[in-house]
Amino acid sequence: MTHSVVRHLVFKDLYLVRWPVIASVVAGLASIAIMPLSPVLAYVGGVSFICVIVILNIVLVMSAVVQEKKDKVLLFILSLPISTTQYTRAKVTANAIAFVGSLLLLTAVAVFVIRVSALPNGILPFLIAVLGYLLTYYCVLLGVGLASDSTGWHTTVITTGNISINFLIPLLLSLPSVVHNRAGATAVWTRDIVTIIAVEIVVGLAALAVAVYVRSRAGDFV
Amino acid sequence: MTEPLIDVVGVEKSYRFFRLSNVAMRLEPGQILGFVGPNGAGKSTTIRILMGMLRAERGTVHVLGHLVPRDQALAKRDIGFVSEDMQLHGSATLAWHMRLVASIYPGWDVKYADVLLRRFNLHAEQTVKALSHGERVKAVLLLALARRPRLLLLDEPTTGLDPVARHEILAELMDVVRDERRGILFSSHNTQDVEQISDQITFIDRGRIIDSSDKEVFLDRWRRLHLDVPPGTAVPALPGAIDTTASGRIAVVTTNSYTPEIDAACVRAGLTVRDVQRMTLEEIFVANVMSNRREADR
Repeated sequence: MTHSVVRHLVFKDLYLVRWPVIASVVAGLASIAIMPLSPVLAYVGGVSFICVIVILNIVLVMSAVVQEKKDKVLLFILSLPISTTQYTRAKVTANAIAFVGSLLLLTAVAVFVIRVSALPNGILPFLIAVLGYLLTYYCVLLGVGLASDSTGWHTTVITTGNISINFLIPLLLSLPSVVHNRAGATAVWTRDIVTIIAVEIVVGLAALAVAVYVRSRAGDFV
Repeated sequence: MTEPLIDVVGVEKSYRFFRLSNVAMRLEPGQILGFVGPNGAGKSTTIRILMGMLRAERGTVHVLGHLVPRDQALAKRDIGFVSEDMQLHGSATLAWHMRLVASIYPGWDVKYADVLLRRFNLHAEQTVKALSHGERVKAVLLLALARRPRLLLLDEPTTGLDPVARHEILAELMDVVRDERRGILFSSHNTQDVEQISDQITFIDRGRIIDSSDKEVFLDRWRRLHLDVPPGTAVPALPGAIDTTASGRIAVVTTNSYTPEIDAACVRAGLTVRDVQRMTLEEIFVANVMSNRREADR
């Protein structure tokens, strides 16, 4: 029964976040669609794409995790026949499906558009590294949202995450491999860019794993 | 012998400015236990420990025979929990919440849910954010009752409700325990509500259970004696006297162990018993709390 309850809670969360997810996917697709039209629109589309992912990240974590605790909806959910560990599992699963699903879909469309349009394929490693950062940012925010009730911590992670991207993009663009290859016709996956992407994924998953562990071990849940 | 619905032994939990000390509690099937205490006494903490939402540092908690928090998911299959501050998803309708709960509880009673909708004058298609406080509490209660749980844990469900809504909810609760297998733990600082529906009463104050008994026993044994004390006489030590106030020739003694023998003892001491008043649960509660606080402060 408890497995089916977890499944119901996952579907419940996906239903409740359906509009932000649909709106983000539509906005993301529109951002990607304008990118091949001109260099200026490629820049505008790229920035919009990043903004859409950042907004989806914040909206998902703040509404489905943090607000549920603050609004005491958590009391209702925990009155259902699940343990606190199963609640955490359901919450992470639903949130990850909503965010990672949208991110993968938009990434796949972006890669497709870049490959079939006049946009240089050489930009792909840079794009994936930026999206990898957004995945890390999401994992850290979800982790902090799960493990902490402190608005201060949530605000700190959001502010740091949003500001850091302004340092990350110039940093990535200054990498020799990106400088040499980004305007090229083929994507070149150099060791440094692959390492950066791998580190982003590992850091994100590790942060989330620590948060889930901390939350699951916590004796007091409300 | 029937298994108790709730069996709590020696539960302790500490916070920086509050400590739940040695809480013990037992609820048998067919009973409504009124859990009464002032604000901040530890009622919600105790109930959340029963639900597995908080972990006790010491003691054991069995709910419906399951060890909590370890087996909380099993226990919660047959618990309906309602808290005054519990919220539902604001953007979703009550009907959506009913479908969610029905999909999880095989025993969800559709007919009873419809009856409760009408009785509570709720509209299933209304979004939760459009509900008033009273309607929200009734909605939460509907979601708990239509599961047909064996145990209802109600944490101040009538707080902030108008008299009509309170009456509707209390009437519904009385109905629940017509089934002798079921039981209710009902916490409140409103002693009128508790007196109306409970058959067992437990008082809690500052994290300690200060008294626990059958309601009728409470009402029978607590009395306030108005005595005429002639000059040169004194009020003798009376059994269970927890408070004595004197003004001129009049003394008022509050006892928690009243028997007619006390009247006789007063007469033997040269006093005249003017009146022996029964006390309301609220008066008993306040006297009990104040007496325990005086003891603790000594």
